[in-house]
Amino acid sequence: MAYLVRNDIVQYACTCGQLRPISFLYFCRHCLKLRCGFCVCHEVESHYCSNCLEILPSAEARLKKNRCQACFDCPNCLNTLAVRGTTVSVRDPDDPGKVNSQKKYYHACFFCRWTTRDVGLPDQAVQTVSANGWAQKNTSNVQRITVLLEHAKLLGMLERHEREQREKKFTARFRRNFTHLPGLTAAHVRKRAGLPPELPAPSTIKVNLAEFQPAVAKETVPELPTDIFTKELDIGTVTTLTQRFAQPETQPDSIEGLLPSYKHLSTKQSQRCRECEHNVSKPELNPASIKFKIQQAAYFYVPEVRIVTLEPLIGGKPSEVVIVFINPSQHPTTLSFITLQEAEEEIKQHQTEGTTDTAVQQGEAPLSLSSLTKPVTVVEEPRPIDISMTGEVQLPAADVEIVLPPKDDAAEYDDSGEIQQFHDDPKIVIHRRANKASLRFTVVPKTDIAGENCVIGFAFRYTYVNRISTPAIATSEQKPQKVQLCTRIFMNCGKILEGTQ
Amino acid sequence: MSSISSHHDAKPKHDLKIALHAIVCHESKLRGDITIGAHTIVHPRATIIAEAGPIIIGESNIIEEQAHIINRLPPGADPSSQIVMEIGNGNVFEVDCLFESTKMGDQNVLEVKSHVGREVEIKSGCIIGAACKLTGKEVLPENTVVYGRNCARRIAMDKPPIQTLQIEFLTKTLVNYHHLKKPRSANS
Repeated sequence: MAYLVRNDIVQYACTCGQLRPISFLYFCRHCLKLRCGFCVCHEVESHYCSNCLEILPSAEARLKKNRCQACFDCPNCLNTLAVRGTTVSVRDPDDPGKVNSQKKYYHACFFCRWTTRDVGLPDQAVQTVSANGWAQKNTSNVQRITVLLEHAKLLGMLERHEREQREKKFTARFRRNFTHLPGLTAAHVRKRAGLPPELPAPSTIKVNLAEFQPAVAKETVPELPTDIFTKELDIGTVTTLTQRFAQPETQPDSIEGLLPSYKHLSTKQSQRCRECEHNVSKPELNPASIKFKIQQAAYFYVPEVRIVTLEPLIGGKPSEVVIVFINPSQHPTTLSFITLQEAEEEIKQHQTEGTTDTAVQQGEAPLSLSSLTKPVTVVEEPRPIDISMTGEVQLPAADVEIVLPPKDDAAEYDDSGEIQQFHDDPKIVIHRRANKASLRFTVVPKTDIAGENCVIGFAFRYTYVNRISTPAIATSEQKPQKVQLCTRIFMNCGKILEGTQ
Repeated sequence: MSSISSHHDAKPKHDLKIALHAIVCHESKLRGDITIGAHTIVHPRATIIAEAGPIIIGESNIIEEQAHIINRLPPGADPSSQIVMEIGNGNVFEVDCLFESTKMGDQNVLEVKSHVGREVEIKSGCIIGAACKLTGKEVLPENTVVYGRNCARRIAMDKPPIQTLQIEFLTKTLVNYHHLKKPRSANS
């Protein structure tokens, strides 16, 4: 599956102008547009440890530096460490002749076979080892870092104070507007208006700033070992850069300094459409679950396009390409083909309509508190698609419509060979099965660019049944709405061959 | 499947020597002059081919399914020359590994799909990680661990443990489900 859809052969143009395979795209059911990872808001839903599957609230996760307190990563190969138990015989302190067996635990990496014993960490008596058991070396910088962080925060506050002072004449009126509302304190108003909380007085900030001691440059640096130029270096004992970066506190240069580090937490993220602020993807909270509450992947809504067969592509010569279109939705869809230029004009026209619509709505809506607190959606201008076409594709006439039946999960097991009547032009549609139709296209690669990839582009319109009843639609008509959408496709048909003649 | 290749006309027919307490499944593919030590387990579908000379396998080794131990003639070598492959004790050849080297010490592990070339000499306690390939000319020092996509190396503190329990278990269970090749000394 990943091989079929996760490649760069067929790419869809996202609304923002990015080119992505269909598996990388979302489809917002509310604004009926394709969205890619760059034009959705990513929100962290929950932090969890991928090893012990424990969920941490985000505040706690931040406090623990986004690391799990129970699981460890191998400092050598960065995989997860596993706990291993052994029985050790210990001499009884009271009776020297007696030997007691004791259960001891240590951590081992099953991948590179690194163990905590390698660096001389003592075995632990309990299974849930915490790093407190291992003396944390070289933590002397922690205090200095906190001081520096505090200092940077104070500087930031001072700057903000100065800026607010400058802008006061604009913001002051705003704030006054809401103070008459009952139950609203100044702090509340600041929060609702999207402003940061009130700052301490600049005088106190300055007093705190004065307490800061800047770093002092030292003249004395530790001497290099005397044998550094004479001793032969054993490359096996030197840590790699990856290993050092995994331990930024100590950055050991010898493998003896490697200590297990707390495992990084993973996040579950939800994606939100930037325009309408509806979720396009929302995972279930439970870390053990791989399901989604909302999953509007383009793969479930937009017809999928795949190349079936290709004739050898020779510059200047028409060759036949068979492309299959698959309808993933539960409703029949009608396809028709247009050129990229037509599609771009259509999109532009759509945009101008859209902007006037929203402008009218905003003008009519009463200026309420909620509209102020809501962040203004920034609709970015789609960027032009940066891909050079190296082939021309001859499309069926714009009035040729191909009807794709809805996806039927049971059709795969249905051998009855039910023949549906679609009145297709056999010159265009060469094969049909369930919700798929293979169409014949003619591609003419450009001349004099043999050896390069033949990139073609076209657009298709498809009908989409909008089943979401927005209040506006609900009042006028209850029936699901049929809309015609347009998607641009770019295809890499492979290398252009040298003409024989 | 025939145990001893009838295609090797030049070699004597009874050149397979299996020590007492060794478990060699009948479905394994053994060709040429092979000596298998005591307590060694050869799983069904394991392949041991002594093409360039005899293969001598020590005690308490585990040779898993689809493992290939091949004593191959180097390209362009004289076919009449004899190269002896020696494998020590307590080694584990995991599923689908390919071992072509001529010298291996004790307590090594060849993980799944690993490949050890002809000119690599393995000392003791080495672990060749899953899908790691060693094809150059070198001597692996003791306790070397080769792991990961880039075949990174490190020297471990200890040797991997001998799989005594596993050998005991296999000795008991394999007999129940497979036909074995009879132990046979070199003289018989």
